Amino acid sequence: MSLSVRKIVISGILGAIAILLGVTRLGFIPVPTPAGHATIMHIPVILGGVLEGPVVGLITGAIFGLFSFLQPGAPFFADPLVSIFPRLFIGVVSYLVYFFSKKAINLATRPGASTAPGADDTSPGPTTAGSKISRILPYLLAGAFGSATNTILVMGMATWRGYLPAEVSVSIGVLHGVPELIVAAILTVILVQGIQRIRPSEE
Amino acid sequence: MELTKNITLGVYLPGKSFIHNLDPRTKIIAATIIIILLLLSRSYAAFAVSALFIGSLMVLSGIPTGYALRGLKPMLPVLVIMWIFQLFLFKEPGATIYFHWWIFEATEAGLHMGNLIILRVLFLFTVTTFLTLTTSVVSLTDGLESLLKPLRMIGLPSQELVMTLVIALRFVLILAEELEKIIKAQMARGVAFDRGNFIQKTRKIFPVFLPLFIGAFKRAEELIVAMDARSYTGGRGRTKMKTLHMGRVDLTAAAGMTAYSGLLIYIIIFTKPMI
Repeated sequence: MSLSVRKIVISGILGAIAILLGVTRLGFIPVPTPAGHATIMHIPVILGGVLEGPVVGLITGAIFGLFSFLQPGAPFFADPLVSIFPRLFIGVVSYLVYFFSKKAINLATRPGASTAPGADDTSPGPTTAGSKISRILPYLLAGAFGSATNTILVMGMATWRGYLPAEVSVSIGVLHGVPELIVAAILTVILVQGIQRIRPSEE
Repeated sequence: MELTKNITLGVYLPGKSFIHNLDPRTKIIAATIIIILLLLSRSYAAFAVSALFIGSLMVLSGIPTGYALRGLKPMLPVLVIMWIFQLFLFKEPGATIYFHWWIFEATEAGLHMGNLIILRVLFLFTVTTFLTLTTSVVSLTDGLESLLKPLRMIGLPSQELVMTLVIALRFVLILAEELEKIIKAQMARGVAFDRGNFIQKTRKIFPVFLPLFIGAFKRAEELIVAMDARSYTGGRGRTKMKTLHMGRVDLTAAAGMTAYSGLLIYIIIFTKPMI
């Protein structure tokens, strides 16, 4: 296996953003719960998976995990099984969700498009709205599932390793996981669309 | 808002002690072994031995203990809460009950479980902090690169992976400056970042994140072109300006580590666990 320069650089820069969000505390959004904040530090990892594929998602996740292991924000992140291991999956899951949901949407919308060949510009109303949703939906799902992967695996490992009782993990998971999931899904859509404007065109 | 001033990546304290002089590879391997042993430790005896060993390392390094443990302070409340959770919520049939109030029961098993996880977290935290205190980020990545090199044979692009880490560390400071500019620019346009409720505060993240990511990707595209133009081909045939050397100190350290791990493995196998 070899890594292209593009994959090396994008993983590195997304890893830098994940670290930056941690050290400046910008990656924590205030949530009215006892712990006081939810995290969106895993957004760069989701973007890595969606924009560049599973390998970049995996490497960015590893950098994010390594950082949260070496400078733990909560005590149980001092355990590499809680801080590093779950983060390896965020980008990979995001990529898989993005890839398969895009494929499913393409399959579902194809018959509709084929009934009116060459008539795209005559009926712009419902079809453009529909195509916009079908363009956004894979990113939305990838963001949501990537965020859920982080919450579930981190809380799951913290419970399995015995740092938190199951009842507490579930309530923290719901209280923090849901706002994190919503913010991650919306941010993924906005950021991907912004970034794709300045990237050299591939699609 | 001065973001760039407060960024500390690792808290390296330069020095000339025995620990500072060790090869970074020795320190990474030793830290990994200690972490694995700590994850397996389940008895008070094992933690007592580790405390003696890590304590003596700290004395050897000349780093003030108070300074090394300063990072623990903000975590203390969470540690106490974790301990209380275990004390009252850890259930084991037949365990001695210390006291009973409403639906809560403090059991002996819960007490030991609470102690176990607190000890484990405290020790793991001390080891990672100690590693970053005595080893600079640069030598850590150098050591990591050298240690991962043999994995090339099974197809893992080790040097490229370390390159991503180096790029990440370099770009944190550059992007921090950019982030500061963005935040100041938005504040000049009237965005009050510290006001509002949860939803209002969250919405203020968006006008910061979008320019930050777009700026970062622009820099990434430039760097890709620059590296391609200079024919970057990864690790093949690459030489280092500074090569790492194992010396006498590393041999001494290896002997110390062997004695400690031997003793701890014996304790882990033959001592009755606390829970």
